[in-house]
Amino acid sequence: MLNAQAPNPGSAPMVLLIDDSKFVHRLLSTRLRSESIQIHGEYDGQAGFDYAIKNPPALIMLDLDMPVMDGFETLRKLKDHPDTKDIPVIILSGKNSPQDKVTAFELGAVDFVTKPFELTELRARVRVSLQLHTALQVLAQKAMIDGLSMLYNRALFDQRWVEEFERGLRHKHPLSLVMLDIDKFKQINDNYGHPAGDAVITGIAKIILAEVRKMDIPCRYGGEEFAIILPDTAPSDAYKICERIRTQCENTIWPNHPGRAVTISIGIAGTSGEICDSAEEWVRKADQNLYAAKAGGNNRIHLTDFTDGTNTFSQAG
Amino acid sequence: MNAPDPSSYSLDPTNEEDAELISYFISELPERIHSLREASLAGDVENIQRIAHQLKGAAPGFGFPAIGSAARDLELAAIENTTGSIESLNAEINALINLCRSYAKES
Repeated sequence: MLNAQAPNPGSAPMVLLIDDSKFVHRLLSTRLRSESIQIHGEYDGQAGFDYAIKNPPALIMLDLDMPVMDGFETLRKLKDHPDTKDIPVIILSGKNSPQDKVTAFELGAVDFVTKPFELTELRARVRVSLQLHTALQVLAQKAMIDGLSMLYNRALFDQRWVEEFERGLRHKHPLSLVMLDIDKFKQINDNYGHPAGDAVITGIAKIILAEVRKMDIPCRYGGEEFAIILPDTAPSDAYKICERIRTQCENTIWPNHPGRAVTISIGIAGTSGEICDSAEEWVRKADQNLYAAKAGGNNRIHLTDFTDGTNTFSQAG
Repeated sequence: MNAPDPSSYSLDPTNEEDAELISYFISELPERIHSLREASLAGDVENIQRIAHQLKGAAPGFGFPAIGSAARDLELAAIENTTGSIESLNAEINALINLCRSYAKES
């Protein structure tokens, strides 16, 4: 399935410590050794910010009182940058100042710890911040995943399709879009019950996942319809991937109805890099091709290559 | 400002991790003493304040609360020192240096 779990499972989360005092680096790396984290240290705000952009940590511990670029300015920059804005930041300060605390929380810090550190407290605060961060990431990812098929959902499709379309347009990259629908799905639900229908959706999702590559974006478009975004993929290659998915489906034996095969129809619209219609037009073309494949008798692929305007049809196997 | 209870930061030299922190801190003291002297000779109040600020925050965690409070006295004196002259900080600078030297010698 897709990565619905916490990022980097098994590896220790990286904590970035930004503080101008060598003592603090030494103290924290020694005292947090028993926690399952890796600490990376930077000695000024700018260096810490640059490091966080390149290697986003799971947590940042940020000193307030630093020369050149102080903690508040660093925090502001971190919260302004799309790649670092969601990383939790714990502020470390030598001053127990209520005004600083308010400013820190208003700027988006998750916690505020005063020096000298009470160590058991600091450990607990680090742990809680990391757990919260992991939980939020899992939730954010879950919101993008369809609960039955475990593929991406429609919301994710709508967002990613526009992004991939614009990227393809900008760089004149190949790009293909696949729309795929289960033939006579209502019949399966009616004859064998909804659990059997659900099993078909799950099973076909698994076949799709096994055939697509890591960069591809397989989604459940709605009901019994799926969409697959294939970045950097010419229509002829998209066709090969789809043909494998189609034959896999056709040859699968279903435990709930071993005598009743399930087939799919597929519409593809793609380009090798030259011309593009609008993103919406592209989806409409793939969908039209899907319905043409259905009208042609199901279990087949209908493809449009925008590059030369050619259409290709496959016959049922 | 709440002054931390010094006893809550005293370390146990028989504990391996504590001993490591204590000896690291002592090994760093000569460099701090040197920087304090240099800054004092140069009349660099800003730098004095920065060193004091760092020692204030760090020393208690390494088991040296007395250095922490001497550093706090110096930092406060530096902040309150509106004339910017180094002479008015001499008492606090010397107190801190002498305290650091006594620990550095002990090792």
